[in-house]
Amino acid sequence: MNYSFKGYKRDDGMAGTRNYVGIVSSVICSSAVVREISDKVSGTIPIVHANGCAQLGDDFKLTRDMLIGMSSNPNIHSALLVGLGCETNQVSGLLKRIPKTKPIKGIGIQQLYGGTNTIQKGISIAETWTKEATEQKRIPLPLSRLMVGILNVDADQDSLIKTGPVIGEVVDRLVENDAKVVMGLSKTLEPAGHLLSERIVDTTEREKIINSSKGLQRLRWKDPATVAKDTEFTEEELKLAALESKMTGSVPIKGILDYGEIPKEIGFHMMNISSNVVESLSKMASSGCNVVLIVSNRGVLTGSIALPCLTVAPQRDENSFDELIDYTIKGRNVDEESDRMIEELLEVCSGKQTQLEVLELGEFSIPHLGTTY
Amino acid sequence: MKTFEGYRRTNGTIGVRNHTIVINTVGELAGLTKKLANLVPGVIPVVHQAGQSQYYEDSDQTIKTLAGTAGHPNVCAALFLGMGTEDPAEGIVETLKKDGHHVHSIIFDKDKSINECLKEGKAWLENELERSKQQKTEKADVSELIIGLECGGSDAWSGITANPSIGVFSDSIVADGGTSILAETTEAVGAEHILANRAVNQEVCNRFLEIVKRYEQRARAVGEDIKAANPSPGNKTGGLTTLEEKSLGCIKKGGNSTLMEVIDYAHSPTVNGFVFMDTPGYDVESVVGLVAGGAQIVLFSTGKGSPTGSPIAPVIKIGTNPKLYENMPEHIDVNAGKIIDQNYTIEQIGEEIYSKVLEVANGEITASEKYNNQEFSIWRLAETQ
Repeated sequence: MNYSFKGYKRDDGMAGTRNYVGIVSSVICSSAVVREISDKVSGTIPIVHANGCAQLGDDFKLTRDMLIGMSSNPNIHSALLVGLGCETNQVSGLLKRIPKTKPIKGIGIQQLYGGTNTIQKGISIAETWTKEATEQKRIPLPLSRLMVGILNVDADQDSLIKTGPVIGEVVDRLVENDAKVVMGLSKTLEPAGHLLSERIVDTTEREKIINSSKGLQRLRWKDPATVAKDTEFTEEELKLAALESKMTGSVPIKGILDYGEIPKEIGFHMMNISSNVVESLSKMASSGCNVVLIVSNRGVLTGSIALPCLTVAPQRDENSFDELIDYTIKGRNVDEESDRMIEELLEVCSGKQTQLEVLELGEFSIPHLGTTY
Repeated sequence: MKTFEGYRRTNGTIGVRNHTIVINTVGELAGLTKKLANLVPGVIPVVHQAGQSQYYEDSDQTIKTLAGTAGHPNVCAALFLGMGTEDPAEGIVETLKKDGHHVHSIIFDKDKSINECLKEGKAWLENELERSKQQKTEKADVSELIIGLECGGSDAWSGITANPSIGVFSDSIVADGGTSILAETTEAVGAEHILANRAVNQEVCNRFLEIVKRYEQRARAVGEDIKAANPSPGNKTGGLTTLEEKSLGCIKKGGNSTLMEVIDYAHSPTVNGFVFMDTPGYDVESVVGLVAGGAQIVLFSTGKGSPTGSPIAPVIKIGTNPKLYENMPEHIDVNAGKIIDQNYTIEQIGEEIYSKVLEVANGEITASEKYNNQEFSIWRLAETQ
């Protein structure tokens, strides 16, 4: 079958499934100004977070790279960076690193002598860009311009049995049609690292996933004197991970993405994520995903600020948060379910609002890899 | 005797504001928290992205901070939004209720639809907001005030004008029986000996030196130098050259009073007088800790001009130089730059700060309140699981 969708063609080879003007704060100190600009100009989204100053090393780099990634995301038509002025994460540093494939500008509260001036200036830039964005039309595009994120949230055995094979088939079909697919590798899937490693050709990448299956490894810095130990996974966790791994389909795994890394090749990738939904969706958005499938048996109470998030749930007697579910897996055969799900996904990519978008629920957050100072 | 008009709470504390807030326990609910606050004009959303899949050190710190914020004297009523079976909201609410606070929790789960939850929340908030409008103020002594001392966007003038003036104020309010909390452990690095020498006893002295040392170790453990992030780029263009220099200026906010106690992030002082809270130098996270620890007002000196505030406490901005006041008056409450170009003394600005604190305690709106600067973020201690 030949799939296509209607999106906004971008110069970098990708496509917007949405066409927002992003107002991006470089640091928490400019977030109120960013919100104010965004409130005043429809068609914009406020990309605000709690980071941007008093950060070091990898922790700082992650913040910077995720903001570069968000500004470059194909769903963002143009990006206005708003800084304070004295922060670690300087707007000039971001501007230098963001690829010049779309309109990008930076302004700062201290340079413009206060919030009021900055809001005025920001509104005028944003209004020009939203006008340009509205004039742009959706055109039919191939799946090679899609990067689909897949996030599994709080699944139990029962729902994994229902969702796993269907999502796996969806992954295979998307990849066969040249889409990029990025699946979250969270602590529930990490125990299946050995199993998944067999599908990775590159030895360095294979090492990474085998290593993550050895136990939960996360940084802790409260007391630097005590070394954090890895927690080994339990039998139950291994069993559930094996079930969850069905969601990855059968295509080769290209590698494990980290720290807002953007996949260069077409195909199936995995991404290190946490069990925090907002952090994980934000990482996917920063890596260039333009749509996300959230697989959950409960319905997730927020989406991404920049990406349409389509919620998939298995049919259950008591369906929690019905108003959040976009697609219910009803237990038909795998072919039929995946056909319908891809159809729904491509409709969303072509502009159909997801339930989370209707409810206007979307957040952005940047994780920490070290203490602030 | 210096007094102000405040809002007396059942547990005996006194607030300088009478806010009704809605607060999320997990980041996933931040959007719904804002949505609910929008349904009831006047209600303040306190939102953050912490609370989910955290190690115990972080979840403890999150709960402590949220409980301190909801049970704060400036808060008349607080609604918690939580989700799932292990959510801390109900536990926090139960503890706060015992202390007489007006708090309530709504847990998003299978039994109720989102709309039902929002409807219940809206009704509770409307009722509490109405109640808050009926509450009368009463006269209180300044000894009941806890003032947080903070700086952000410092320049070379900070340690010469604004910070020593804050120090004069701090000594005065301590002499009047009140409490001031100095914070930002990283900005004590290089100046720790001065504060340690002022400790009331050996135990407080040791504890203080220990928290400073631990912060330096945290940086070294990941192969980084704390001095690489501090001073920040803006501090450097403002004329600060080293962390030691910044620190020596930073601690001037603490005046010359005896250091009575060293407390953990978001914990409340157990004694009156001059105390130190272990917080990062990151101003927003530090202010959140100070306020969660009970500070009704925060003094915040700035040389470069920082607009940040707090969702529940008035933050008073003290500008360090005349040029800043000329360029960004909208973000400055007290101009300590007058020491440079108008022959004011540090003592005079210290007195002006004290008068401003009393006016703000009586209800005068600060710059950060006027512009809705309600930044809120909790200091993290580990990566998310």
